[in-house]
Amino acid sequence: MVKLHKRRNFIKTAGASGAVTLFAPYVKTSISAGRLNLGLWDHWIPGANDVLEKIVVTWGKNNGVDIKIDFITSVGNKLLLTAQAESRAKTGHDVFSLPTWFSSMFKSRLEPIDDVVEDIINKHGPLLDSAKFYAYLDGHWRGAPAPTGSFFDSMVSRLDLFKEHANMDLKDIFPDSSLRDQSLVDAWTYDAFLIAAEKLHLAGKSFGGTIGATPDSRWLSAMFASFGAELVNKEGEITVDSDEVREVLEYLIKFTKFMPDSVYAWDDASNNRWLISGEGSSIINPASAWAVAKRDNPEIAKQLWHHDLPRGPKGRYRPDNSQFWGIWSFANNKSAAKDLLRYMSERSVVEECVRASQGYDIPLVISHFKGNKTWEDANPPDGTLYNYPMRGDEIPVAPGYPAPPEIASQITTQYIISNLIARITSKGDSINKGIKWAENELEGVMRG
Amino acid sequence: MKLNNLYLWIRQKPRIAFLMCLPLILMVACLIIYPFFYSIFLATLNKAETKFVGIDNFLFLFKRETFWLVVQQSIIFALVAVLFKALIGFVAAHSINELPSKGQRKWRGMLLIPWVIPPALSTLGWWWLFEPTYSALNWILDKLSIDAIPWLSETFWARFSIILVNIWVGAPFFLIMYLAALKSIPEDLYEASAIDGANYWQKLFYITLPMMKNIISITILFSIIVTFANFDIVRVLTRGGPIDTTHLFATYAFRVGIESGDIPLGAAVSLFMFPVLAVLSFIILRNVRKRANEV
Amino acid sequence: MKIFSYRKSINSNRKWALLLAYAFLLLFVVFFLFPPYYMLITSLKSNKEIAEISTNPWIIEQGITLSHYIYLFTETPFLTFFKNSIIVTISVVVISMVISVFAAYSLSRLKFWGSGILATGIFLTYLVPDTLLFIPLFKIVGWLGLLNSYWVLVLVYPTLSVPFCTWLMIGYFSSIPKELDEAALIDGANHFQMLFKVFIPVAMPGLIAATIFAFTVSWAGFLYPLAFIYSESEMVLTVGTVTTLIKGDVFHWGGLMAGALLAAAPPVIIYAFLMDYYIAGLTSGATKG
Repeated sequence: MVKLHKRRNFIKTAGASGAVTLFAPYVKTSISAGRLNLGLWDHWIPGANDVLEKIVVTWGKNNGVDIKIDFITSVGNKLLLTAQAESRAKTGHDVFSLPTWFSSMFKSRLEPIDDVVEDIINKHGPLLDSAKFYAYLDGHWRGAPAPTGSFFDSMVSRLDLFKEHANMDLKDIFPDSSLRDQSLVDAWTYDAFLIAAEKLHLAGKSFGGTIGATPDSRWLSAMFASFGAELVNKEGEITVDSDEVREVLEYLIKFTKFMPDSVYAWDDASNNRWLISGEGSSIINPASAWAVAKRDNPEIAKQLWHHDLPRGPKGRYRPDNSQFWGIWSFANNKSAAKDLLRYMSERSVVEECVRASQGYDIPLVISHFKGNKTWEDANPPDGTLYNYPMRGDEIPVAPGYPAPPEIASQITTQYIISNLIARITSKGDSINKGIKWAENELEGVMRG
Repeated sequence: MKLNNLYLWIRQKPRIAFLMCLPLILMVACLIIYPFFYSIFLATLNKAETKFVGIDNFLFLFKRETFWLVVQQSIIFALVAVLFKALIGFVAAHSINELPSKGQRKWRGMLLIPWVIPPALSTLGWWWLFEPTYSALNWILDKLSIDAIPWLSETFWARFSIILVNIWVGAPFFLIMYLAALKSIPEDLYEASAIDGANYWQKLFYITLPMMKNIISITILFSIIVTFANFDIVRVLTRGGPIDTTHLFATYAFRVGIESGDIPLGAAVSLFMFPVLAVLSFIILRNVRKRANEV
Repeated sequence: MKIFSYRKSINSNRKWALLLAYAFLLLFVVFFLFPPYYMLITSLKSNKEIAEISTNPWIIEQGITLSHYIYLFTETPFLTFFKNSIIVTISVVVISMVISVFAAYSLSRLKFWGSGILATGIFLTYLVPDTLLFIPLFKIVGWLGLLNSYWVLVLVYPTLSVPFCTWLMIGYFSSIPKELDEAALIDGANHFQMLFKVFIPVAMPGLIAATIFAFTVSWAGFLYPLAFIYSESEMVLTVGTVTTLIKGDVFHWGGLMAGALLAAAPPVIIYAFLMDYYIAGLTSGATKG
């Protein structure tokens, strides 16, 4: 039986428009029948879950598979806890959402799905580089691109406040078209960001980014990458004590003075609230803050503009939060699961999901990402989401990069970067002391 | 006839007695004693639970700064919270006792409410009260022209907040215990001392406190144990942060054991609670044994 | 002479004492009751008012709305959580009472080898709190295949309530005069009849107190369901409200407060009706010590 969880019905987007024909381009490659239990990530955008559920359930009906979906939130690490529990107990759902490092953390319990991913690549073209970094482990693909949940945090800023206090016309620098003035974009460096942050802070409308033990803190990883600061290098050696790390820590000592004190305890929703309340001028976040602002504080939503992150000495990086779907090794009905995974990368499905998420999700298959009109059409303000997907020279980077996946995943789930920064900027430890602490933590992480 | 019945009775007693006690014995054996020893075994395994590593997990913990932070925090948390709970409970009990008996019931009723609400849920209310952007408490401070307090984001205030909520939840328990004890102190003791010219404080120190000694010590010890092993409040309010400065044994074990997937290490963390609890329980046991023998 | 001044000083002393008492009590009542009050107010506010940072958070300015409560019942699994909590709690209360009443009767009246140790040793179980046991139990419960089912709570919750309930009942049973025993025996009663016809009726206040305690403890259980249950359909109110009610939507505070209040209601309501029994039961140790 299909179990429908009643959800909120804030479907103000096109996602609500009736049945979408999802039959045509899909060719069954195996006999799919029986039932499937899906443990999926709960979407931040109101209404997006319903659309996904409808798509999956319809597929199920057409292929004789009973579908049951549990939407599990990532708040309070619930999704992670559930995955932990299921992988330990060797029982649970069949298909599971695997954000970022989950594929690596649970690789021994995930079914290799090389055939699925290769089919997808053959049919639709290559995936973003980071996908391979996350999901291709020990010679096998463990995760296939998820239709939802992959996002790459952009900056979300108040046009009016930046113009008034920081003297920056964000629309000018990051227009909603491909006609960018590269010199303006190049001038958007972390140094420029520091100056702007100070001005905004003095005006009482600071930038805010969490430095807490919560997934949103991945913006710090992007900053580290921009400075070339690596906690652990590609070979697995601890390289915390390096010039680049010191440089970024020095920068942060200055930068955190221009952020509210509460950022050290912010959870994933705090920065959204910060922006929507009108207290903040800018955050680094996916498109959810803007989407919720549209509903709860339209005056502010009208002023929000999504744009690139600043450039650091070693490049311009953006936090990568790719998501995959995987099949547990103890799952039932693996062939049906594989068919479902293939289906989820169909162009029509992806377009439907992106639209339902109001542009929040950015597909991992490169061909699906180009030419999708959702980001151009979103409003108000017109063109706000144009620069939400990477249009310029930004490189998506996984937190913990370039450390080997087992270590990078621990760096991420133990929030070593956040803790390191907090110790120095909030607690007041010296940089040396902080670095020593981080080295100690990393040694702990690397033990078997 | 009577002798016959009694004789049969004595004969059957142990058997029936044992049978009636059996569910309890089974429950304790299977769900408390066995898991306890199993957890000791678990703590000696490596992370992947494939080999035996002896006391490695414990040694590893000893070298971690966070672990010692947890030890320190748990102890301070328990002692400070219990002190204030006892104090508030005592003052409140005393105050209620001063009122005419008819009016006491409704005060007692109102003041016990925090203890009856499930802590995890009341903590949600506190969480929203402490939220950095929307804190209703900071709103009041703002109206009084006082700076907003970073309730959950600064170490000192975060610790303050969890202790505050714990006091809020636990003080009512002390209140009713002390109130009952106060009521059981014979009135004539006070009257006799009044005639001898005793003032308020003297009555307190020479009559009230000594008469309540037993109950005071039992409730305090009992509460230290329960507070020491607290989980709900910290989990909902701060999850151990900021920078691990509000972690208690339970929340740290949860983070390390379940969230990070290192069950043996989590077991090792939890086991550290045991020696402290053992000492405290031994003290309580002595008190309780005295009572049981008196019965 | 001395008597007059003594009486006067008593009166003014009493007045001060009373004034001080009321002052403290008022302070405490405000401290103890303002959070639930605040939760109630927030649950009746519209989302818009909650999101507006300029409004007074302590009163409702823009009209009361029941939308959060309605939302709770229609769009969230709240009722499922409620149903699960009820099933679990009632089962646990029944199991706990059966175990503790039998054990208490046995330990207070019928001596057998080791019963003295057991009676006082009951407290030893508090040495091993749920925060220590949840890790090994996690694995054990996994073997039993009970992970992610609310029946696992029915299995483990009694460990939280039985020790205290047993201790409570032992206290009550022990204070029943032995003459009642003898009278029943002369009438030819066996142990079970004695238990049901004599002891339980006489110790009813204690029984009620123990039942309420068991109810409150099971209803409030949080750590075990957090660690063992991860499917929404199996969750109980405490974990459900805390972890899954506040989903990605960042401003769901009205609904969250509504949920928290409703989830907290049953123990409070039971307590409100049976308060005297509960308090008497809990404090029997204090008065009998």
